[in-house]
Amino acid sequence: MEPLVEIQDVRKVYKRDEFDVPVLNGVTVDVPRGDFLALMGPSGSGKTTLLNLIAGIDRPTGGKIIVEGKEISRFSETALAAWRARHVGFIFQMYNLIPVLNAFENVELPLLLTKLNKKQRREHVMTALEIVGLGDRIFHFPRQLSGGQEQRVAIARAVVNDPTLLVADEPTGDLDAKNAAETLDLLQRLNSEFQKTIVMVTHDPKAAQHALRTLHLEKGLLVEMTEAAAAHV
Amino acid sequence: MKFATLIRRNLFRNKSRAALTMLLMAAIFFFVATLLSILENFDRASEMGDGYNRLAVQSAISLVNFLPFSHEAKILQVPGVGDTAKMQWIGAYYKDKKNFFANFAVDHNKWTSVFPDYKVDPKQLADFQADRRGAIVGPELMKRFNWKIGDRITLTRQIFPFDPEITIRAVYDHPVNTSALYFHMDYFQESIGNPSGADMIWVMVKDPNQMSSISQQIDAMFKNTDAPTETFTEKEFQRTFIAMMGNVKLLFTAVSTCAVFMVILLAAITMSMSARERIVEISVLKAIGFESGLVLRLMLIEFALLTLIGGTLGVLGGRLLFSFVNMAKVTQGFLINFTIYPRAMAICIAVAGVVGILAGGLPAFRATRVRVVDGMRRVV
Repeated sequence: MEPLVEIQDVRKVYKRDEFDVPVLNGVTVDVPRGDFLALMGPSGSGKTTLLNLIAGIDRPTGGKIIVEGKEISRFSETALAAWRARHVGFIFQMYNLIPVLNAFENVELPLLLTKLNKKQRREHVMTALEIVGLGDRIFHFPRQLSGGQEQRVAIARAVVNDPTLLVADEPTGDLDAKNAAETLDLLQRLNSEFQKTIVMVTHDPKAAQHALRTLHLEKGLLVEMTEAAAAHV
Repeated sequence: MKFATLIRRNLFRNKSRAALTMLLMAAIFFFVATLLSILENFDRASEMGDGYNRLAVQSAISLVNFLPFSHEAKILQVPGVGDTAKMQWIGAYYKDKKNFFANFAVDHNKWTSVFPDYKVDPKQLADFQADRRGAIVGPELMKRFNWKIGDRITLTRQIFPFDPEITIRAVYDHPVNTSALYFHMDYFQESIGNPSGADMIWVMVKDPNQMSSISQQIDAMFKNTDAPTETFTEKEFQRTFIAMMGNVKLLFTAVSTCAVFMVILLAAITMSMSARERIVEISVLKAIGFESGLVLRLMLIEFALLTLIGGTLGVLGGRLLFSFVNMAKVTQGFLINFTIYPRAMAICIAVAGVVGILAGGLPAFRATRVRVVDGMRRVV
């Protein structure tokens, strides 16, 4: 399968006062188009850092990150922001909806950066909200929604501009079992039905089971790949 | 503008804080607009004689020294002088000291030739001129004391040893000076024992280009007499009169500047809080593709709107307030036809917007410069 994301010998070192704290120590992995990849590992293993680098919200200390043939780690801040707007959909553990905007307006946010007119934006937003099953909650503010509903609005916001890549950081970490299952089913559906490429960080092995393959990180290195994943690649 | 909803919602995200900030802006800019309008009111008063070739001749020794009547005859001999009129500041009040207003004794027969900008009904003017105790009154004063033509009034002395008992015979119309009272110089002279002098002589010059040279000629003519003169154009005279109150302009400008500076600091505190509590949201916006510059612009528009709305409410509220309050009465004739003038409104509204940008600039800049990954980790 054609690689959408190529991670080549990526290293990341954080500066904490006078100390260098290495987080990723030379990670190399490809994410094929249409993949649903789960990144697992203990706290501090570097999985969220790797996700942030793939999503273009952080820069590697060394190595290359290539997405659709473009080395995003060399982009300027402005170019990177424009690239994220077009190619990446974010799903966060704490949903991170804008509290003063209702569901419709939250989902519409990424579209404000496009050239779509108001009518077109409305159509896209309604489609996204229908996909996540919240077409009847468009005027509800985040405080008027349950955690599960908030996360579904966040997923609608992530997919509304049809991004190349979805990144999810512990998307079920703040949800109860029922809502977590619904969220994971939704992600699985986005992958299988809408061919979205998804990279998900999780602590939860049950959540990882919804992915097509799972990579484990430990101390900044990839340590293991599931057999199913190996077969998939 | 497609970001209007985002800006509007953020503007009122904390309603009580937004309301208090706007109220603060409204109060400060009402205050500043009022001060600026008082200054403009003075300027307008100083331009009262614009377009009329009048000179004011007064004693070079002091404003309260009399000029002998013989000066008037000599001034009339100066080539280029059209006419003259003596005028005397009376300084009396009506019934109560708080009912103070400008009142003068004038040459009743020459008043209209030297002051043609004061329009009077010919019949009323004739009545005023015919009655030795007749008075001509500004419309604002008529309204203030509910006077009518024919009313007999008594003013109470403050400077001279007599209480003018006069009858209102005419009402004049003037674009600026609407709150003064004039009565006969003859009546004044007789009442205080014919002192043969007045504190001012107004001179109407035929050619405006000769104002300066005639002014110099008059002063030169009396330079070595017992009563030397100092001659001003009317505008200079009004400004000198206003300047007697001290450097009000400097004082008001300094107070206004301090008020604006204080409001910038207060707004900066509010906006710092607002920016800091939104770090995570700003990081989310940046993560989904909003450039830092765009987020900064949106925040600055929001902050500028916050102060702009408050400032606008303040100056519009002031204008409305002064349309109901008779400031001539409240200030005992000090402020006539007072309102918040358009120029003061424009300055205050513009400054209000700038206050938002200045106060919010640094907090917004710092908030938008936080790296996305750091911002997402921030617990506010």
